[in-house]
Amino acid sequence: MAQTVISLCHQHLKKCFQTLEMTNKAWNLVLAECTPLISSLGNLGEQLRALDNVQLDLTPLHRFPDLKERLRFKLLQAVDVVLCKLTDKVDELQKLLKTLNNQVSTAFQFYEHNTDTLDLATCTLRSATSPSIADMLEWLQDAHNYYCSQFRRRKYLLQVLRPDDLVFMEEVSKRWESFYSADGEEHIEDTLSRVCLFVDS
Amino acid sequence: MATDAKTMFTMGVELQLLPCDPQDINTQRCRIGPFLMTSLRLNIGTPVLISTPGGSCLCTAWPRRDLAEGYFQFDPKCATPNFSSPTREASPFKCQNIRPLNCPKLKRVKVNVVVKSTELKKRMSSLLIHDFVKEILSGVHVHERHVITLSSFESEMTYIYIENANSGSTKAGLVTEKTCVEIAGVITVAEHRRRVAQESPTMSLGGMEDVYASLKELIHLPLFYPKTLSKLGVLCPRGVLLVGPPGVGKTMLVQSVVKEVAATLVTINGPVILGSRPGESEENLRAMFHQAQAASEEGPCVLFIDEIDSLCPKRAGSSNAPENRVVAQLLTLMDGISSRGHFVTIGATNQPDTLDPALRRPGRFDREVIIGVPTLTQRKSILECLSKKMPMSSSVDLIALAEVTTGYVGADLSALCREAALRAILHSSEGSDGKAIEMHHFHEALKRVQPSCLRSSIGLTDYKPVSWEQIGGLADVKLKLKQSIEWPMKYPESFVRLGLSRPRGVLLYGPPGCAKTTLVKAAATSSHCAFLSVSGADLFSPFVGDSEKALAQLFRQARACAPSIVFLDEVDSILGSRGDARVAHSVQAQVLSVLLNELDGVGLKTAERRGPQRKLCESEEHPGSQQEQQMEFHEVCNKDVMVVAATNRPETLDSALMRPGRLDKIIYVPPPDHEARLAILRLCTEKMPLDPDVCLEELASQTSLFSGADLENLCKEAALLTLHEQSMEASRVQQKYFNKVLQNTKPSLSAQQIHVNSCEIIFK
Repeated sequence: MAQTVISLCHQHLKKCFQTLEMTNKAWNLVLAECTPLISSLGNLGEQLRALDNVQLDLTPLHRFPDLKERLRFKLLQAVDVVLCKLTDKVDELQKLLKTLNNQVSTAFQFYEHNTDTLDLATCTLRSATSPSIADMLEWLQDAHNYYCSQFRRRKYLLQVLRPDDLVFMEEVSKRWESFYSADGEEHIEDTLSRVCLFVDS
Repeated sequence: MATDAKTMFTMGVELQLLPCDPQDINTQRCRIGPFLMTSLRLNIGTPVLISTPGGSCLCTAWPRRDLAEGYFQFDPKCATPNFSSPTREASPFKCQNIRPLNCPKLKRVKVNVVVKSTELKKRMSSLLIHDFVKEILSGVHVHERHVITLSSFESEMTYIYIENANSGSTKAGLVTEKTCVEIAGVITVAEHRRRVAQESPTMSLGGMEDVYASLKELIHLPLFYPKTLSKLGVLCPRGVLLVGPPGVGKTMLVQSVVKEVAATLVTINGPVILGSRPGESEENLRAMFHQAQAASEEGPCVLFIDEIDSLCPKRAGSSNAPENRVVAQLLTLMDGISSRGHFVTIGATNQPDTLDPALRRPGRFDREVIIGVPTLTQRKSILECLSKKMPMSSSVDLIALAEVTTGYVGADLSALCREAALRAILHSSEGSDGKAIEMHHFHEALKRVQPSCLRSSIGLTDYKPVSWEQIGGLADVKLKLKQSIEWPMKYPESFVRLGLSRPRGVLLYGPPGCAKTTLVKAAATSSHCAFLSVSGADLFSPFVGDSEKALAQLFRQARACAPSIVFLDEVDSILGSRGDARVAHSVQAQVLSVLLNELDGVGLKTAERRGPQRKLCESEEHPGSQQEQQMEFHEVCNKDVMVVAATNRPETLDSALMRPGRLDKIIYVPPPDHEARLAILRLCTEKMPLDPDVCLEELASQTSLFSGADLENLCKEAALLTLHEQSMEASRVQQKYFNKVLQNTKPSLSAQQIHVNSCEIIFK
């Protein structure tokens, strides 16, 4: 009885880590796609500010009527397009997060339902081929928390962006970059490498 | 059964507390050894409530990575406000403090979002904030009235305060995606701190009810009746200047009022504001006013400038340009408040005279509240406040304690109580049983704690207490002194009933060596007054105007701790007579004019006001016990300084000094007569073994014209002679030695002197 529960639990955990691996790859891909978009957003911000600063009346271009407004309209349209694309990317991230969340919570639920069989002694038992259940649950929770906070921050950054706050817009790419946490990524990589034997078995 | 026994066994286990692992920060995990977890029946992820002396904290239980027992770590992500992690040095952590908690999935949760600045409110729509908070909270175990700390780089939000869970039906629970999050408000950190502080108990403050009420009203008025005020077309008073000697509780009063009305307190300290770069001080000052204004947008706010005299000295007197600029900046900022911000400015100082006069006008500091040295009733209520939390034995009589602590301010009284408590602790550790504080502990403490308003006073003297019995003879002089000094203190109700007021001053005159000084000492001992003694040496100085200033200062201090006695010994040398034409405009004449003014001047300076101005209404029924009633009489009757002067040359004194209303009781201290001499001799030989042949009666009759001092000297000489003539082993003083000494000594008084002295006043 106990053995079957443990192996079932291991099944769940294996699925979780497979999802995690997949999420990790997909997540980084999506982020890589975001980078040019973000930098173009910063560019547009710079252009908008330049437009604010320039005095068109003093240039030969003053013959064109409403040039400033038209240019601004163009630029804002471009910002809109970039933001639309970025929102799509964020949606993709959200989907990935949701899948991971589902898997992790299923694993936790399974553990909570079987706490009678899976007592702490069993859960903390480590072997040559597999880490203990407690460790794996912890890693899963850590990974999930990490992705959640990453997602929250990036989403928040895009949501507080406003076309009239040009300074903020120029800083966007810098802030976006600052969210990247080497420690967090390393932790995920570590986790994946620790469980690779267990997942493959 | 087995697990029960195990649980029982673990209840007493003490754990060593370690700081949280960096990986666990912000995960809400607590790390416990797996064996202990099993015995506490905890599973992985079970929510537990950890209670410590500093508050409580909600965590999820996880086994330690290294599976070691005996250690405990936790992350205080969800904790009570003001939660402070117990330090490792503190007593070991007990297992009983870890308690599993049932955390169902929540249907709804009501929260307050705490942000760093109000900017976030402007930038994010409420819908956005709602989504954001929901995302942050999902998957977190929350407890009502706890605070979720967000990691610093998350956003401008710092905390989320959980007001209630499931509308209050459950204490704690897990927030899921399906939980409905309701945001009650978005507040700043300062506002959050204020709300938290409001829940903690208020400080108690004794004897300041009237000042307290007026301050409170001032802060409340614009908040509760804004429309009425605008209808009347008037601006609210916005500034209060608190004036009072150090230690009366100005700062504490402000803190207490602020706490009571739940306002934000922004404090400006002079030294912190002043910077080294030019313009830095002004910048700091502007920043503080700006901060107060930002806080006032959310709720009532008080800007408190402590020790304002350091920040705003008189500009005319100093040629210090940076200082003047700071003063000018402060004045401008204070003018600017009425139009922009809505906060109350309170300044506190103990030297109102050094302030720039421009500051003390309506519009800047509209009101000036003077907090004086506490009076008798105020002292009693302060003592009541202080002793509320102390275990007092029934022997402690607070009214008696209030009576003996003349001149003590709030800080002194609290020092007194602390000292008494320390005495009590020392005594109890020595083995005697009582844990309560007894009256004798207070008496011991009284010797150690001196009133702070008398510190650095020129007149404070440490004299050996003298009782009336230690003075032989002079029965009628003693009676007169008792009448004028002791009776008003002891029987104030009789004085009030007969419409008597106590004399302003007493002049003792008589030949030298007749116990004038000792009489005053005895009077000061018997009445519990502050006793200030001053001589020419204290007053005179080579600088022009210094002596007058010193005397005025002495009287100011004496008034601050009234009822008090100012004793001027050898008054003839301190004060000259204005009639003496030879030395016009001498220092003595100047000092005399100061004294005349102090004795019977037009009135007091406003800054010296003390307590509420009380008058007794005879018709009114007095509530309270007889003791309290007497205390009230006492306070009304004895609020003045009494001047006691002694001289042996009364003829040199100015006549203006001796009229009723100034030194109105003039007592002649005669040289001792036969009876008195006998009494003095008895006192002097009390500790001397006398031979049976010694006849004091005879000695007394032989020593006419001897003063008290002469008689004392006589006894001393006789004893010395005994040692000289007999041997060092002599055990008794015989009559013959007295006679021998008597032959060699002459009385220091002459009949003529006595005649002059006794007639002097009558001629005047």
